[in-house]
Amino acid sequence: MNQSRMKKISMSFGILGVVAVLILHYMVFFWVPTESSMGIVQRIFYIHVPSWWVAFISFGVVALCSGMYLWLGDDRLDAAAVTAAEGGMIFTTIGLLTGPLWGKIAWGAWWTWEPRLTLALLLWFIYLGYFLVRRSALNPEKGKRLAAVVGIIGVLDIPLIHVSVSWLRSLHPEAVVLNPDGPTLDGSMLATLLVGLLAYSLIFVCLFTVRYATELIDRGTQIQDV
Amino acid sequence: MIGFMRYLLTNRIGLASIVMVFCYPAVALAQSGGALPLGSQTLGRAYWHVFVAYAIAWLLVAFWIAAMSRRLFRIENRISKSVDD
Repeated sequence: MNQSRMKKISMSFGILGVVAVLILHYMVFFWVPTESSMGIVQRIFYIHVPSWWVAFISFGVVALCSGMYLWLGDDRLDAAAVTAAEGGMIFTTIGLLTGPLWGKIAWGAWWTWEPRLTLALLLWFIYLGYFLVRRSALNPEKGKRLAAVVGIIGVLDIPLIHVSVSWLRSLHPEAVVLNPDGPTLDGSMLATLLVGLLAYSLIFVCLFTVRYATELIDRGTQIQDV
Repeated sequence: MIGFMRYLLTNRIGLASIVMVFCYPAVALAQSGGALPLGSQTLGRAYWHVFVAYAIAWLLVAFWIAAMSRRLFRIENRISKSVDD
């Protein structure tokens, strides 16, 4: 894919993302009704869930690209994996910071060592390890391969995070969208959540393409310098 | 009347009904969720928590964009240096 085509894709996703973000903020603050038991603080839900959604997608991309990198050895796949991991870390941090702000009002505690929270924090540390392994290896190629292994192992934590609320005793509520009996959310809340998911996904795709292009240019110029 | 009151106070069922009459408003208030209807939080910490959560989310995205632009600036500098050399 050439640079101008990538630029066009990232621009169009960026514009759509900004429009979706504006619509999301209008819906969250002026349109969606206040939840009956938790009150105004429940509005954090509309950024908390999309941030985890994007984080899970990015770590899925990391695992996929890492697996293919180990198989094919193409440096572009490693560039895509490291780009997705960076985005994943940003959105995991958003999820980990917005959750306690909601939990303090809803549960009366900033943090509890309950299964979902603990596994989510573990995910953050696994991908922190991904960057540390990458940078600490003396041989950069070996560092890339080791990081790819960490990226693949790390993604195994995601299904555990998802099922932790139903398999283990957890403070987190059961899934309200991906529920076997169908979504249990009110229609307007579900619509706002879907706009949130779309907005965050578009912003992520836009930033991912920009960052991926930057990574390729960076690697290309470093090779030329050598 | 005095005889009836004396009967109520000495009889266990009568005493229980007097207690229920006096306690009912408190029980009803507790079951209704307090003076405010559910979900009608007005001012207070909850607003700050929502504001801070949204601010954190967009500040972190802005941080990622800033990190990317700094990286691009560094690449541009490196390319221009190598062209000068």
